[in-house]
Amino acid sequence: MSNPISASLEATDQQGALGTEGTGKPRSLGRDAWEDLRRRPLFLVSAVLITIFMLMAIVPQLFTRKDPRECDLLRSRQPPSSEAWFGYDSLGCDVYANTIYGARSSIAVGLITTVLVALIGSSLGTMAGFFGGRTDSILSRTADIFFGIPFLLGALLVLITFPSEPDTPAWQTIMKVVVALTVLGWPTFLRLMRSSVIQVRSSDFVMAARSLGAPPRRLIRKHVVPNSLSPVIAVATISLGGYIVAEAALSFLGIGLQPPVISWGSQISEAVPWLRVAPHMLFFPAIFLSFCVLSFMMLGDAVKDALDPKLR
Amino acid sequence: MSMRGRGLAFGAVLTAAALTLTACGGDSDDTAADPAGGTVNIFGSQPQNPLVPVLTNETGGGNVIDNLFTRLVDYNPETAAPELAMAESIEPSEGNTLWTIKLKPGWKFHDGTPVTAESFVKAWNDGANCNTGALNQYFFGPDGVNIKGYDAVAGTYDAEGNLDCAGIEPDAGMEGLKVVDDTTFTAELAGPVSIFATIVGYSAFAPMPEIYFTDRPAFEAKPIGNGPYQFVSAKANESIVVTEYPDYQGEKKAQVKDINYKIYQTPDAAYVDLLANNLDVIDTMPATALAGDRWKTELGDRSILKPVGVFQSVTFPLYVEEFDNPELRKAISMAIDRESVISVAFNNTRTPADGWVPPVIEGYQPGACGEACTFDAAKAKQMFDDAGGFDGTLTIAYNADGGHKEWVDATCVSIKNALDVECQGKAYPTFAELRNDVTEDKMTGIFRTGWQMDYPSMQNFLAPLYATDAGSNDGGYSNPAFDTLLRDAAGQTPEEAIASYQQATQLLAEDMPVIPLWYGALTAGWSENIETPVFTPFGRVDWTSLKLKG
Repeated sequence: MSNPISASLEATDQQGALGTEGTGKPRSLGRDAWEDLRRRPLFLVSAVLITIFMLMAIVPQLFTRKDPRECDLLRSRQPPSSEAWFGYDSLGCDVYANTIYGARSSIAVGLITTVLVALIGSSLGTMAGFFGGRTDSILSRTADIFFGIPFLLGALLVLITFPSEPDTPAWQTIMKVVVALTVLGWPTFLRLMRSSVIQVRSSDFVMAARSLGAPPRRLIRKHVVPNSLSPVIAVATISLGGYIVAEAALSFLGIGLQPPVISWGSQISEAVPWLRVAPHMLFFPAIFLSFCVLSFMMLGDAVKDALDPKLR
Repeated sequence: MSMRGRGLAFGAVLTAAALTLTACGGDSDDTAADPAGGTVNIFGSQPQNPLVPVLTNETGGGNVIDNLFTRLVDYNPETAAPELAMAESIEPSEGNTLWTIKLKPGWKFHDGTPVTAESFVKAWNDGANCNTGALNQYFFGPDGVNIKGYDAVAGTYDAEGNLDCAGIEPDAGMEGLKVVDDTTFTAELAGPVSIFATIVGYSAFAPMPEIYFTDRPAFEAKPIGNGPYQFVSAKANESIVVTEYPDYQGEKKAQVKDINYKIYQTPDAAYVDLLANNLDVIDTMPATALAGDRWKTELGDRSILKPVGVFQSVTFPLYVEEFDNPELRKAISMAIDRESVISVAFNNTRTPADGWVPPVIEGYQPGACGEACTFDAAKAKQMFDDAGGFDGTLTIAYNADGGHKEWVDATCVSIKNALDVECQGKAYPTFAELRNDVTEDKMTGIFRTGWQMDYPSMQNFLAPLYATDAGSNDGGYSNPAFDTLLRDAAGQTPEEAIASYQQATQLLAEDMPVIPLWYGALTAGWSENIETPVFTPFGRVDWTSLKLKG
C-alpha cells in the first residue's frame, strides 16, 4: 500500500523541482521551506486561525460592538443568551467582548517576548558559537545561571519587585510581564543558536570565505547567521504559544497582567470560584486561550518540519 | 430580634435577682437530672498562642478559652446582653468611676483551688503588665475599662512599634484594683466608663489560678480554668479535647460530656466531614460551599445565616483634600448598590448596612444612615456633580489575602455606573502592608475597613473608630461635638448612654467619614447527630445548646 503513494509523492516533488529549475532561479532554503509549507494542511489551518486572532488583537471592534468595561451588577453571572453569546461574568460584563479584547494583551505579550528572547538569545548565541573560547565560556555560564532559576519563582520575583498600580498605563503592565518572561527565556535561544553556529562555522563555505579574507563581521552576517537561523525560527514560533500560556499562568496567580488590562489569564482566574455556578465564565476564555496557543504551536511544528531538510 | 429590648435592662445596679430572671428565659430546659454524655465535634483552628486568655485574640483559641473560663458576666446567647455569671453584683459609684464587684462564693478552679477576688485582681494586673506582652492588654487601658494606674505598668511603644518595658517590675499591679475580702474587690477607673460591666465579660478578664503565676509551663501544658469544661488534651494541628467539669458552680449546665475541637487544613475538608456526619458544627462555611447556595441545598434546615457583630466599611482618607467634602462622600455612598454587591460577591450572606452599628447591638437604630446608604443612582450623580465631582480614578484599596477582590470590583462597578467616574480596586498583597500605609496616613484613595465587636456595646463601634485620635480612627475623622457626646456617655447610665451614642451616630450620618457597607453574618451548619444548636452574636456556638440526639 505505502509504496505507490510515496512513489507518486516523490514524482510530484521532482516535477516541481524541475519546473523551478526551468525558470533558472536558484532556490534558497527559505523559499524551499515556503513551497513546502503552503502545501501542509497543518500550516494552512494554523495560519487562518492566527490571522483571525491577530485581527482580534489589532481591531477587536471588528468582532464586537460592545464595550468590555460596560458592566451591570444586575446581570451578574447570567448564562449565554441571544443578547450575550458567551453570557455575563460576576460583575455583569459581557464575556464575549472581554474574551475578544483579551486577545490583544495575551498575543502582545507572546509576540514581544518571543521577538526579544530570540533577538537577545540568538545574537549572544552567535557570538558564543562563532568566537568560542573565553567569550563562549562567559556567555554560556551566564546563561546557565539564568537557566538555573526556576521559571515561576523568577517571574514572581520580577513582578513582585515592580508591582503594577491601578493607574499604571496598560503598556507598562504588559512590558513588566514581557521583561519577566524575557529575562528567564533568552538562555534557551543562546544554547540553540550557539550549537547551530558551531556546526555552520566549520563548514566548507565558511572556510572558503574566511580564506578569501572576509572579516568576521561579514562572515557572521553573510554566511553563518543565515545558515543557522532555521532552528531558532522554528523554536521561536513554538515558544510563542508557551509564552502566552506563561502570561495566563502569571495572571491567573494575580501577579501578571492586572486590571484594567483585560487578559484571558485574569478572566480565567476570576471565573474559577464560580465554576459550579457559572461555568461559561471559565469556558470561553479558556477555549480561546487553548486555540490561540494551539495554532501557534501547530505553526511552529509546520515551520520546523519545513525548515528541516532531513524531513523533506 | 424581639429580645433586644431586654438587653441592658439591669442598668446601673446588677443584682443576682435580675440574673435569675434572665436565666429562666434561656434555652436550657433544666434537664440537670440527665447526666450529660457523648462527644460533639466542632470545627476548630490551631490556636496561635498557648491557651491563656490575655494572650488570645483569635477564634481558634478563643472558642476553647470561652468554655474553659467563666468571667464575671456572660453574654446572652441570643441577644448578647450581659448577664451575671461569676459575679453576684457589679455596682458603680456615682459617675461610673469606682466599681465594686462581689463574687459568688464556693467557686473552684479545675484543680480544686478556690476562685477568689485575688484570682481576678492578679489576673487583671498580669494582663495589663507590660512584661506579659498580652495581645489583649489594651482592654485594661483607656480603650477598654480604663483602670487607674494602667499607664504606670503598660509600658510604651517606641518608634518601631516595639513595646518598651523599661523600669516596670513583672509583678507590678494597677493601683486602681483593690481586694476588699475573699469575694469582693473594687476597681477605680481613670475616667468614667458606663459599660464596665459589659466589657468585663470579654475573655481577657478571666480569673487565673495560682498555678498560672507559680508554674507557667505547667499551666500552658494543661490550662486550668473555672469554666463549664476542663482541658483534657491538645494535639497540634489535630484536635483539642475538653470535658465537662463536674463541680461547675454556674447555673447553666452542659448537655454533652466532651467537646472535641477538630482542626482541619482547609475549611473545605471540614465541610466534607460535616456532610459525612464526622464533624458536628461548622461556624464558617467555605467559599466553595457558599457559591450557588450549595450549603443550603446540601444541609437544608441544618444551616443558619445569622447576623453577627461585624461591620464592614470603606473609609475616606480625610487628610486628602479631594475627599474633604461631606456631600461628595455621601454621593459616593449613595452610588453603591449594596444589595447587588452582596448578591454578586457574597451569595447574599451579608446584610446591607444602614448605619454604623450592627443590629445585634443594643441601641441599634434602623436607617441611622438615612438616604445616603440607600442606592439611588440619579440622585447620587446629581449630588456628586453639585459637590464638584472627582478628577481621575477613584481607587478602593484592599488586602488581597482576605478575599476582598470580588466585592471591591463589584462596588467599583456600581460607583462607576452611577457617577460616571473611573473606579478601580487597588490590591495590597497582605493585610499588614495595607494597615502599614493606613496607620501612617499614606493612603491616597478610599480603603476598606472592618470592625468586629469585642463586647456588645455601641461604644465599641464608635469610640475606637471615630473619636479624635482614637486607636482605629483610620481616616483621621475629628468632630468635637462627637467627642463630647462620647465623653458624656461614659459617665451616664446605660440608657442615657445609648441616647448619646445614637446622637453621635447622627453626626456620622451628616459627615460620612466612613461609608457603611454591610453587617457580617454567620454562616453555620451542623450534622445530623446533634439537636439544633444556638449561635451567639459573636459567631460562636453556645455551649449550653450542644446536645446529642436521642
